[in-house]
Amino acid sequence: MSARILLARRLTLLLASLVLMVVGTKDIRALRAYQETVVVAEGLTKQVPLSMYFAGIAGTMMDTPVYVFDSGVPGGSVLILGGAHPYEPASPMMAYVVIENVKVTRGRVFVIARANRSASLQGMLGNAYPPFFRVTTPWGGKTYRIGDRETSPLEQWPDPFTFVHYPSTQNQAYQDSRNLNRTFPGRPGGNLTERTSFAISEMIRREKIDMTIDVHEASLGYPVVSTFVCHQRADDMCMMASMVLSAEQFPMKTETSPTSLRGFTHREIGDFTDSFAVLMETPEPFIDKFVGPMTEALMLTGKDEFMQTAADRGLLYADYNSKTGSPLEYRVGRHLAGAAEIIKQMGEFFPAKKVEVSWPTYADLMARGVGAFLHDPQKADAKRVFLN
Amino acid sequence: MILLQEIIHQTYFMMSAIIAVLLLTRLFRRKTRPGLAYDIVYAYAIIPFILRALHIK
Repeated sequence: MSARILLARRLTLLLASLVLMVVGTKDIRALRAYQETVVVAEGLTKQVPLSMYFAGIAGTMMDTPVYVFDSGVPGGSVLILGGAHPYEPASPMMAYVVIENVKVTRGRVFVIARANRSASLQGMLGNAYPPFFRVTTPWGGKTYRIGDRETSPLEQWPDPFTFVHYPSTQNQAYQDSRNLNRTFPGRPGGNLTERTSFAISEMIRREKIDMTIDVHEASLGYPVVSTFVCHQRADDMCMMASMVLSAEQFPMKTETSPTSLRGFTHREIGDFTDSFAVLMETPEPFIDKFVGPMTEALMLTGKDEFMQTAADRGLLYADYNSKTGSPLEYRVGRHLAGAAEIIKQMGEFFPAKKVEVSWPTYADLMARGVGAFLHDPQKADAKRVFLN
Repeated sequence: MILLQEIIHQTYFMMSAIIAVLLLTRLFRRKTRPGLAYDIVYAYAIIPFILRALHIK
């Protein structure tokens, strides 16, 4: 074979590989560049970057917006922490519904929709997850990122062989060095995820936030599904909220944060700040390992025949019916109602920390869907439109 | 500590770029294994290193 033909063959192969690379990474590039739009409620006091509380994350992909709603009336303060694990989409969705609809008449409410912003900018390896999901609204629809569980390796790499949690020195899985809900309370000189945890802890300390509600989703094969997980100082409030919700709206369990399980918000925020630390879980088939194709439809409806088989055999920790599934409005509605109830209980137990707040209820979500509570950025006042 | 982490982190990107260049060179200039199958492997194996060096994946 002549040198010229050989060169042409290799150039062709190289070109083909580059074309394959560009085409094959279209979704990856789109996800990393996509910005979500949020139309904030009229009561927004300010939007500040998280780095305002700790400059060690400024200029990184972990610097995420914090939305502050201050009634101006003395009372308590609450932080709603959405998106610590972006592949649990009802979490940031709940935060967005709050940001777009909240009314605060006493105390202050802080909302972070994308606590681990970097993780929301990459897909999950190996699970063939869709990069985006679309919520239908009366005026069209809004698209949101699904994302991963851990901080992107583009921001934090390499992983250690074993992640040693600070300050407990407990050994954890290597990938937990990039897991925001394993790195609390964080440290200023740690890795990027630890520094982000530290920034959130600093915000809680400086703003004297009375209650932190970390919003998650759980697989139905995980015992902690449909549960409040609460630091022992918040136990009584969680038990009351759990009883009220289970009696009036939907099944909700509660359990105390184990003292030997380190790095979680419900443990470390309770130990290292004065805030009552609460974590909430909803039933999310999309993140279970034994479901069918992990499609956008599964994420939105939660309907899956394999999950039904598991339910029939008594393998799940939550009620499940594949005809009704576990749709997004159910999961977001649960979080909205769960947060509202636990905030109400804080006011009952500690009147000085009372926060009077309202947002769409569980019944509202079940009747009208999530999209009914998202506003059209095209028609909104430009001052109320933010990008996340 | 943060500076050291950043140096190690950036070193990985540089290593990816160096390996991509190395593979590219070997695709066009190598004396052994000149067959089509090896050309395909060299051309294809470059992809993940370019993606990492360009901060895409």
